[in-house]
Amino acid sequence: MSSFREFAVSTAFGSGRLVVEVQGEVDLLTAPTLGAVLGALVDQRHLDVVLDLARLQFMDASGVQIVADTAERLQAAGGTLSVRSAPALTLRLLAITAVDQVVLIEQADPAGAGLGPEQRGDDHSLSVPSERADLPRNLTQLGSIPASHEVIDGALRLVTSLASATVEGADGVSVTLSRHGRLATVASSDDTILRMDQHQYETGEGPCLSAAASGHWFHSESLAEEDRWPEFTPLALEEGISSILSTPLMAADRPVGALNIYSGTERAFGTHQQELAALFATQASRILIDGGADVSNEQMQARIVGALLSRETIARAQGILMARERVTAEAAAALLHRSARTAEVTVIQQAAELVAPTHGDDDPDRGARP
Amino acid sequence: MSEIDVLEEARRKLGLSVGDLWFRYFALGGMSTALEVEAVLYGALVATSHDRDLLAVALNERFAEQGHDHPVPYAGDEASRP
Repeated sequence: MSSFREFAVSTAFGSGRLVVEVQGEVDLLTAPTLGAVLGALVDQRHLDVVLDLARLQFMDASGVQIVADTAERLQAAGGTLSVRSAPALTLRLLAITAVDQVVLIEQADPAGAGLGPEQRGDDHSLSVPSERADLPRNLTQLGSIPASHEVIDGALRLVTSLASATVEGADGVSVTLSRHGRLATVASSDDTILRMDQHQYETGEGPCLSAAASGHWFHSESLAEEDRWPEFTPLALEEGISSILSTPLMAADRPVGALNIYSGTERAFGTHQQELAALFATQASRILIDGGADVSNEQMQARIVGALLSRETIARAQGILMARERVTAEAAAALLHRSARTAEVTVIQQAAELVAPTHGDDDPDRGARP
Repeated sequence: MSEIDVLEEARRKLGLSVGDLWFRYFALGGMSTALEVEAVLYGALVATSHDRDLLAVALNERFAEQGHDHPVPYAGDEASRP
């Protein structure tokens, strides 16, 4: 993946300060490396660290979490983390997460800060509507994210914090995931929210379970008037929760969990909040897909085995065509595609026909050409 | 990048997720990651004609499953015409 090719971290001393220059993309793959470098510098008791992002192409939620963790460790030690020349979108992400309050923002070239390279055609970063600039800065919540070796869970926790700070009326957010066939909370903004999830697992009902099972979102505007979950609802009301919005997390078109937003107010969530919830659920789903968190289930394994068998058959068919027609692998693939189209069968059917022993190399006219 | 638009347009018409399209592409022998396929669909990355053909085949086979013709053009269509 390109992030591995382009990502680089270098350190240098400039004006008596330690400057860490980041190049390329900071994402789930590369963030741990950046975290290791910054962690080592903090361990070595460097107190004044500058993170130079002039050559940064893209930083996602996992990168922001590394910045936040480093800044907090430095602060605790009496030092400062400065962020220099960050692209506009990164600055916005730092502002939304309130990380800009724990780092020192240095813009060396204000004119150049207008449009970062990540602005172009990038659908991966969190795009929170700009009118949300006044959003609540929830430092305590961000501070409560524990450092984690599990990168995926860490990234999901950050999404949880972001959602909690961004969705107006939200008193808490959690992410529920199906792991080893059981639902479990992998991130929650506080203990009440964690208990809300647990009440649902224990009673076997609730919006989170419904969303995770069906792949549709479930919204309870007012738990006092709710009759869909008779066992869970009284427990939720006891905890002071009045409305819930659960949005499914999808991996390969299958629901694998839910993003749950809880509020102590009735009818806290309107269309705007639902859109934001969908946005965060998409982000969380993407983290799961990119992190390959879903390969443990049997359905997925069957799909992978099927795909590998298909690839093998196609590769053998291409090999036969390459030898027979004396062409390159790609030309053989094109031949195979064309002959399948002419025969009005799928490419895999055509390939299977070609590699079948009865229609092997002894019959050179078969299958190869339209 | 008209070809890229065609691929993305077809994917949307089919209601096929990028993940599912990638799986079909992978089963056909594709070697790029799902993220790279997504970049191609968004026009951020230019695919080789081989990769484009594989994506076109993946999409067209899905169309065929639904009883449609093969609406997505192949990269070799122009060159192979007599």
